[in-house]
Parts: sequence; structure tokens; C-alpha cells
Amino acid sequence: MISFFVRRLIWMVITLWVVFTISFFLMRSVAGGPLSNERALEPEIEANIRARYHLDDPLWRQYLRELGNVVQLDLGYSFKLADFHVNEIIAQGFPISATLGIVALMFALLLGLLAGIVSAVWRGTPFDFGLMTLATIGIALPNFTIAGIAIILFVFLIPIFPAAGWGSVGHLVLPGFCLGAPYAAYIARLTRTGLLDVMGQDYVRTAYAKGLATHTVIIRHAMKGALLPVVSFLGPAIAGILTGSLVVEQIFAIPGLGVHFVQAATQRDYTLSMGLVLLYTALLYTMNMLVDLSYSYLDPRVKVE
Amino acid sequence: MQSAVRRAFPWAILLLLGSAVAWALSFGTLPPADYTFSNDTEIESVDPANVTGNPEGRIIRCLFEGLVNWHPKTLEPIPGVAERWEISPDGETYTFYLRDNALWSDGTPVTAHDFHWSFRRFLHPETAAEYSYQLWYAVGARDYSTSQVTIGQPVEVELRERPPDALPYAGGVLLHGVLRGIEFDGQAVDEQPSLEERGDLPVTYLVEIDGRTRRFQQGGGSDAEDYKWLLPDFDRTVGIRALDESTLEIELNNPTPYFLQLAGFYPLFPVNRRCVETFGYPAWTKPEHIVSNGPFLLESRRIRDRIRMIKNPDYWDRDNVHFNVVDALAVASDTTALNLYMTGEIDYLPSVPATIVPELLAQDRPDFQPTPFFGTYYYRLNTTRPPLDNVLVRRALNLAINKREIVEKVTRAGQIPARSLVPMSIREYVAYTPAECGEYDVEEARRLLAAAGFPEGRGFPKIQILYNTQDTHKSIAELIQSQWKRALGIDVSLQNQEWAVYLGQVRQMEYWVARAAWIGDYLDPNTFLDMFLTDGANNQTGWSNPRYDDLLKQANRETDPARRFELLHEAEAILMDELPVIPIYYYVTTFMVRPYVNGFYHNIQDVHPLQGMSIDVEEKQRLLEAEGLR
Repeated sequence: MISFFVRRLIWMVITLWVVFTISFFLMRSVAGGPLSNERALEPEIEANIRARYHLDDPLWRQYLRELGNVVQLDLGYSFKLADFHVNEIIAQGFPISATLGIVALMFALLLGLLAGIVSAVWRGTPFDFGLMTLATIGIALPNFTIAGIAIILFVFLIPIFPAAGWGSVGHLVLPGFCLGAPYAAYIARLTRTGLLDVMGQDYVRTAYAKGLATHTVIIRHAMKGALLPVVSFLGPAIAGILTGSLVVEQIFAIPGLGVHFVQAATQRDYTLSMGLVLLYTALLYTMNMLVDLSYSYLDPRVKVE
Repeated sequence: MQSAVRRAFPWAILLLLGSAVAWALSFGTLPPADYTFSNDTEIESVDPANVTGNPEGRIIRCLFEGLVNWHPKTLEPIPGVAERWEISPDGETYTFYLRDNALWSDGTPVTAHDFHWSFRRFLHPETAAEYSYQLWYAVGARDYSTSQVTIGQPVEVELRERPPDALPYAGGVLLHGVLRGIEFDGQAVDEQPSLEERGDLPVTYLVEIDGRTRRFQQGGGSDAEDYKWLLPDFDRTVGIRALDESTLEIELNNPTPYFLQLAGFYPLFPVNRRCVETFGYPAWTKPEHIVSNGPFLLESRRIRDRIRMIKNPDYWDRDNVHFNVVDALAVASDTTALNLYMTGEIDYLPSVPATIVPELLAQDRPDFQPTPFFGTYYYRLNTTRPPLDNVLVRRALNLAINKREIVEKVTRAGQIPARSLVPMSIREYVAYTPAECGEYDVEEARRLLAAAGFPEGRGFPKIQILYNTQDTHKSIAELIQSQWKRALGIDVSLQNQEWAVYLGQVRQMEYWVARAAWIGDYLDPNTFLDMFLTDGANNQTGWSNPRYDDLLKQANRETDPARRFELLHEAEAILMDELPVIPIYYYVTTFMVRPYVNGFYHNIQDVHPLQGMSIDVEEKQRLLEAEGLR
């Protein structure tokens, strides 16, 4: 158990270092940089600015300096939000993305599990067909389309939610739904498949034979086994949701990490992009580790080595 | 144990989710502001010296105040911190008399010394202000900000160590002396080697300080002292002087009629020395530290969400400030900003999505009235590449573009087809009439192309139009492509590049024809025309004309405004005759503002100071109710 953690942690450090190195050189090999400007500057002014950001140093020196800072968890000042340290930006953006993510996750789990169970239990009925069609559409539709439809419906036609922004419960509903919808669709399909798989097994037949009611059989006996694929899907899904959806945050003007991610990339904000890439890597890695760990508790057949 | 954990697992998850949602819902809602506007993107900084964009300008105009303000309608300079000013008869010396009731938000008065210090900081190479050239009109300013020193000149040497009683972020010990000699690579030289020549080689400066010659070299050396900055002596070489607490004198290289307007441009706004030197950049810009002198104070900032500002109770013109709380939202998507406007959440948005413009115009809304803006959309031609090196070809290409079709079919917001680089609407503000190039004329275009050796386009090499990724740029390029094909029989291909790549290609002159745009910084034709001086940093066409350079130089020295505009007109006529650039259309503003906002004026620079603006509360109530929003 402890050796499992230690091994995973060592791999995490190595992964982060590789990601850092690749991102560092990729960023600098792309045309343009944080100082790209439509107005060409006088060479002397440009030299002053480059010196201020140490961009006039050779690449290897820049690499070592940044690596040294990152190791000390100092991600540096943002180039394009110059009043803020990257750590500050993440500290402000992460809780917002996380809140939105949790709401989205609630939507995804609630809608997904419900739809999955209903269509598995009433398999082959119009219910099943209708819900699974909806789920397929949910997976196929990009969330900016869902967002567009949701805005037309619930902001303009039936004005019950604000169009965009952050600060109240109402602001959470539409983006939470749009962010959660594709995940809900996946969960519905996974739950249905898992449940159907388990329903045919002997122990479920035994439970029925004991005279238990259908709902007891499903909730007490079948669900446990059926949820495994859902749990393994949740790991990366949570990481994805938590670090914010790039598109949904942009559409609803939510000041989370997703918006920072997009803007940092297009503005060539070296430090902010790097900070977010590393954060995302660490989160994804941790989530996957937690999923692997939870497996050993949920499924007695799996042992952590 | 295992099974107990297994049983607790779903409950633990539920508990976690439940508490997370409870936490999420516990966020308080900010009370609404009196005036809320969309400010496009998050600003780079609130430090006037460190920014260049419009969103930054909107915020800095709220937080700080310069020597002069701009009249919201006519853009004429009106008193700001300076209550009056004098301009010497030769137009080269400006004396500003500061009002005594201008205060910093810490209660201390705003003095001429504050401007002197702020301008020095603005020009200092350590600040690395991108806009520092906006103050290069002052004597010696350019040399100071580019660390250009000459032998025999008074210099200041800043050491790395700081005076013992200095504030934590103050500059190092400053030594004043006279530069007596420069040694480069072990040899005594007559002038400072240029940036490229220098490379990594050490330069040693011999400076006479208090009758003793001391040697300075970056990083120190066996026989030289280390230093941080070696610059011309600001107080003895730069024409910016605080004569007393309330008198600031600025001496310029040339009579610069637009300098007074520039004095109201936000990079030239003052910052508070004590605040900056106590906290350093960027900590001094935090709401809890910042000391400012504008109509509003910085209350809070949420990154990429909103900047909240409150009325400054000590602002000298406070009776003219009618908002107590102002919110600037950073809304990156203009569709989202429009949604917020349409649902009554914001009162102003700077621009609407291009695709919605025709629909808004068709509705004939009082809150959407595009008016001329001080910018031109044009195409650069690479005059170093054949066949574009031939002026006949360039003229033919211009005559073959139907600009009216472009503004009617593509841009569709009432943009005006352009035949000059300087926007025509400048005539409403200054007595300058832009010079024009030829008008759409297919016959003449064909004749010129034939005269250039390409009858009916035969033998014309395949050229390319370069543009950066955006739907409008693409549609315009496609339309011009087909117009050239139809009129001249030439084949042009299109090249779409992402922004940074496009900039790089234009700068390296790796293009034939490239899309471009320029927004004027100050209300004078010079802001457009000085781009195309030989070797101008923004020329990027390879075009050079000695007569043009000379006319601009003459205009710079001219004290008679009418004669000066004649010279500039003559220069623009040369540009429009030789056409290294083809003007396509003049921009219009596409902002929307709620009709209940009083004191809001249209102007060519699209600048709308919040002083003087107010909200008609009853009208707001009535309008929002009528739209079903309240």
C-alpha cells in the first residue's frame, strides 16, 4: 500500500518534469511570443522589455531558471495579467472552476444514473429508446451548442437565469448543466451497460428467487457491480470537469481556469500556460490514482500492489 | 475492515458532494453597481506605464488623472491636474500650472515633482514602457529611455546598493557626473557601441564624479565598479522640470501641436512615488496598497471577472462624478457581452459581434449608432518584391478594388470606403484634409497593368494575400481576390495565418500583400503618416521616399499650423500616389450604450470618460420594464 503510493508519487514527479520540458520547448518553438504586438517597437524599447522578462537570455538558461522556480512552487508572474502572480491566478480561478465542476458533476451523476437505471430496467421499451437517443445526442453535441440552446431557452424565451457572469446560485445552473450534460450521457450509457451485464448473473437471479422486490435487488445487489465502469470513468472526468471547461467558461463569462487556459495559450503567456499545464497534469494524475485506489475497495477482485 | 470501508464509500462520496455544493452556494452576491460596462478582456495592468490597450485605458482613466483631460465630445484638452498652461511662442516649451486641490488618495497633494518622478520612471529602461516613445517629444527623453550616452555629457550612475534610509523598492544610490570616456573591448572609443556591436562584450565607462574619474562596468571587473544603470543625467539633459511644487515645464525638440492632447493620454498619467517605492511593482497595484488620483478608487479585482471601483470622495471635481460604484466586466466573448447587454445586466459594451451588425442596424435602435472611428483598414504591399515594386502595378491593384462592395457586402456596419490613409473624419476635429488615391476604375486599372507589361494580366506572377485568422479578414480577402481576377485577370491566392505567425511574416517582409489596420493614438495626421518614414518600425512595406521623409521632417519643425497641415497633406499625396499601402475602409465604432445613460458622447477616438456621466433612474426603470427585464 505505502509502496504503491511512493511509486506513484515518483512517477508523478517524473511525469511533471517531462510535461514541463516538452511544454517549455513547444511554447518557445511556436511563432510569436508574449511580446508579439501589432505595433512594431523601436528596437531599443524591445530590448528593454526583453531584458525585463529575461527573454534575452539563452534558452537553456531560461529553462533552468524556470525549472528552478517551478520546483520551489513559484510559477512566476503572468506575462499578460502582469499585476498577478500565476499562483494567485490559480488560487482565484481553481475554486471557481471546482465549484462549477461540482455542480456539473451533480448534474452528470443525477441525470446519468437515473437515466441509466431506468433504461436498463425497462430495457427495450420506448423509455429506454428515448433516453438512449438523448444520451447519444448528448455525447455527439458539443457543449457550446447545448449552451446556445440553453441560453435561448432559459435566458431569452423563459427568462429565469442570468445570461452570464459569476456570483449567485442562478449563475451556476446553466453552465453547470451544459458542462455536465455530455458526462451525464456517458454515465447513462455506462450505467445501463453495466447494469444489464450484472442483471444476467446468478447472484441477481438468486436475489430475485429469494423474493426480493425489484428495487431492492437493483439498489442493494446489482448496482454495486454495475457502478465499476462508472467509477473508472469518473476519475478522468472529475479532473476534466474541475480544471474547467474551456468553452463553457468562455460562453458564460466564468472567471475559472478554463478561460485562463484559452487566453494564456492565444496570448502566448508563457508562465500562466505552464502553470496551468502542470496543474492539469497533477490533477489528472491524482484523480487516476484515487480511482485505482477506490477500485480495491469497491471490487474485492482487485488488489493494490 | 475492507467491507466497512466499502460500505461507507457511497456515503462518503455523497457527503463530499453535499458539502461541496453547500460551499458553492455560500458565495455572497455583490450588490449591483451604479454603472456596469463590458471592458472586453482582462486588463494587463493598472500601472499607466505598463499598458497600451483600450481596455486598460478605460480603467486607468477612472483611477488616475493626467495634466489635462479630454472633452468627452470634442476631445479638446481641458484642465485636469493642471488648471491652466502656457505654450511658448516657438511652440516648444509647455508650462503647466497645477491646481492646489488635486490630491492623492492618501491625502497628499499632487505636485509637479510627482509628474517629474512619474515621467522619469515612465522613460526609465528598467520600467521598459512600451509606450515610452509617446514622451520622446521631450528634449533628451529618447536618449534617456534608450540609455544612449555621449562623451562629455552629464550622466547619472545608479548603483546596485540602495541608500540606507530608502524605501524597500526605491532605486539604488545615484551618482551624478560627466562621461569622460568609453572603452570597448579594451580599446578607447569615441561613441557608445550599438546594441548589436556590444553583444556580450564588456563596455567600460569613465565618469568624472566630484573631480575624480571612476570606471564603471556591468558586473564589475578587476579595475571597474559594478553599476545597475548608466544613463544621461535626467535632471540636466531631459527637458522635464518641476520649477516648484505646482509648476511643471516640458521642453520639446520640435513644436508639436498635438502634445497637449498627448498630455491627456493615459501612459502620461502620474503614479504615487511613495506607494510604488514602498510596495514595488506589481504589489503596489493591489487594491489594498494602490494610491491614485483619479475620479474613482480601486475597490476590488477578480481576475477575468470584474474590476470594482468606487467614487473618490477627495477628487477635486467630485461634484461632476455621479456614480458611487462602477463595475468593469472582463467578458472575453462579445456574444456573451451582447447577451448581458440585452438582458439589462450591463449599460455599455464597446463592440458587438460583426455578424449581428446588419440585424441591429435594421432595427434602427437608438442605442446602436455606428459613427466614424479614428482607424483605417488597409492592405500593405511589399514593394521589394516584383511585380509590386512597380508603381503602375500598385495603382492598378488599387483601382481594381471595389471598396464600396466590401463595406456593403462584408463589413456592413456603415464603414466608409477609404481613399486615404488618414481617416476623412479627422476634418471634423482639425483643419486637415487627407489626400486621396484613385477611385475604383476598372478601365484605367487594366490600362495601367498593360503599361506595366501585363496586358490582361498575362505573365503576372501569382501573388498572395496574407491575413490573420478572422472571418471578416477572410471574406474581404476573398472578395478582393475575385475583384482582381474579374478586373485584371490576375490570379491571387490567399494565406491565412494565426495572429503571431502573421505578425512575424509581416515584420520579416515575407509576404506580397498583407492585411493591416492602424488606429490613431492622437488627433493628428502624423500618427498615421510617420509610420511610412524610411526605416520606420511600422513601415514594413520596404517603401522609402526621400521627399516624403523630408516633408514630414519639415512639418515637425513648422510652427504655423496651417502650413504644417499643407506639408503633411503633400506627404500623404505622395503616399497615395505611390501606394505602398492601399486604404480599404475607415472603421466605425460599434458600441452600444443604454439610452438612460446621460452625458455619453460619440467621438472619433471612442473614448468615454465616466466623469460627467449619470444614469436617469426613472428612465432606466421604465425601459427595463418595457423590455420585460424587471
